[in-house]
Amino acid sequence: MLTEFGKIFIFLLLAIFFVIVAVLFSKFIRPARPTKEKLLTYECGENPEGSPWIKFNIRFYVVALIFLIFDVEVVLLFPWALSYKEFGLPGFLVGAIFLIVLGLGMAYEWRKGDLEWARPVIQPPVLKKQTYSKDGILVSEEKAKESSAVLQDQV
Amino acid sequence: MKSLLDQEFSDSNIVVTKAEDLLNWARLSSVWQLGFGLACCAIEMMATSASHYDFDRFGVIPRATPRQADAIIISGTVTLKMATRIKRLYEQMPDPKYIISMGSCSNSGGPYWQHGYSVLKGIDRVIPVDVYVPGCPPRPEALLEGLLKLQEKIRNESLVKKTA
Amino acid sequence: MKTREEIFNILKQEFPEDVLELLNQPTEPIIVASPGAIHNICFYLRDTEGLQFDSLMVLSGVDDANGEKQTEEDGSVTINGGTLSVYYHLESLSLTQKVTLKVSTPRDNPEVESVESVWKSANWHEREAYDMFGIKFLHHPDLRRILMPYDWDAGYPLRKDYKNPEFYQGMKVPY
Repeated sequence: MLTEFGKIFIFLLLAIFFVIVAVLFSKFIRPARPTKEKLLTYECGENPEGSPWIKFNIRFYVVALIFLIFDVEVVLLFPWALSYKEFGLPGFLVGAIFLIVLGLGMAYEWRKGDLEWARPVIQPPVLKKQTYSKDGILVSEEKAKESSAVLQDQV
Repeated sequence: MKSLLDQEFSDSNIVVTKAEDLLNWARLSSVWQLGFGLACCAIEMMATSASHYDFDRFGVIPRATPRQADAIIISGTVTLKMATRIKRLYEQMPDPKYIISMGSCSNSGGPYWQHGYSVLKGIDRVIPVDVYVPGCPPRPEALLEGLLKLQEKIRNESLVKKTA
Repeated sequence: MKTREEIFNILKQEFPEDVLELLNQPTEPIIVASPGAIHNICFYLRDTEGLQFDSLMVLSGVDDANGEKQTEEDGSVTINGGTLSVYYHLESLSLTQKVTLKVSTPRDNPEVESVESVWKSANWHEREAYDMFGIKFLHHPDLRRILMPYDWDAGYPLRKDYKNPEFYQGMKVPY
């Protein structure tokens, strides 16, 4: 007795079979006249220089992600901009809060240096040298430059 | 082993002729062209692709890469600098491939035939041309005529080995 | 707005040795300068109050073909001696005045000072003049051919005695 998953299994087999047949059939029929020029990398007619298999800078993906996020937000803003008169002040406030949250995110990534192309230099927190009296009362507070310099060297 | 369409059959029995009819019909109904404009003829080619003359009804779709193209329309003045690139693009198209030479410039150098120090005097010095379309630039009707001529040529192709 | 004669007199006062003469052409008077000092003259024209030529409209090379012409057996002409010229059409957008400069340089060794440091737009214009006439612009940052192929070794096409090569990369060039 065929179970429900058994039907899916047959479906799967048929799909694999169909793909294999189609690929083999076209390989059997099609004209195959490869030449050296034809197998060259397509560079709009130019001579290719070097291998096309190069590493892309990972920062392209960060920029693409940021673009995607701020691009999708427009999808929300368009209907809001078209109809916020009908909703009056509450509608305006909702949109404003949305934009403020987005602006905070923008400020955050700006501060983190993700909008810079060069790799950002991480600013380590500056340690404060605190001096206490015998009673445990804070007497003086000064920036310890030596320790932060050590941290920056490690970065 | 040679694949089926690379073989040349010695006798033309009914299977071969029917198969080549089907094949030629399929090929001539979908001549995908490499989107390749060089000069003012390219404007006419674009006008032919646009809605009024509608190249698409003959199955001509501009493709962005030679790997997917069947035909290349050399539309405009071919400079010596460009000729090497055209040759490379033509080589990179999959077989079978066709060439329409559009306009006087790519046919014979056109107005640059004498003093054009940088112009190739006819694209047929670099790649084999199937159809020449005269005109400077040809009207879209002329390019359609050229395409119909190309289709006629494809329709008469044969899988049978040619005898002397 | 100053006439060309006034501009010529100002320049003549400032550069008595390098500004040579005022050619009275039917279209417009042209100021002839010496090729070794054209960048100084252009700096002066750009930065002086009352001149302010902030725009280089066009820079073009010209083959004067005023040398000794020799006709070869096959009908081609070679020119020995004479000059090549460069014309500078300047415009002051703020004062709406125009002036045309000309420098002439010997055909055998054509060298002109580059004005690329004065107007950035001169960069490609000078490359074109180099490409078509072989005029070398001294102190140009990137003097390469701009229109013809980089491996074009048949000379400079717009010279009057230019002969087209028979073949370029295996392609026949003449009709």
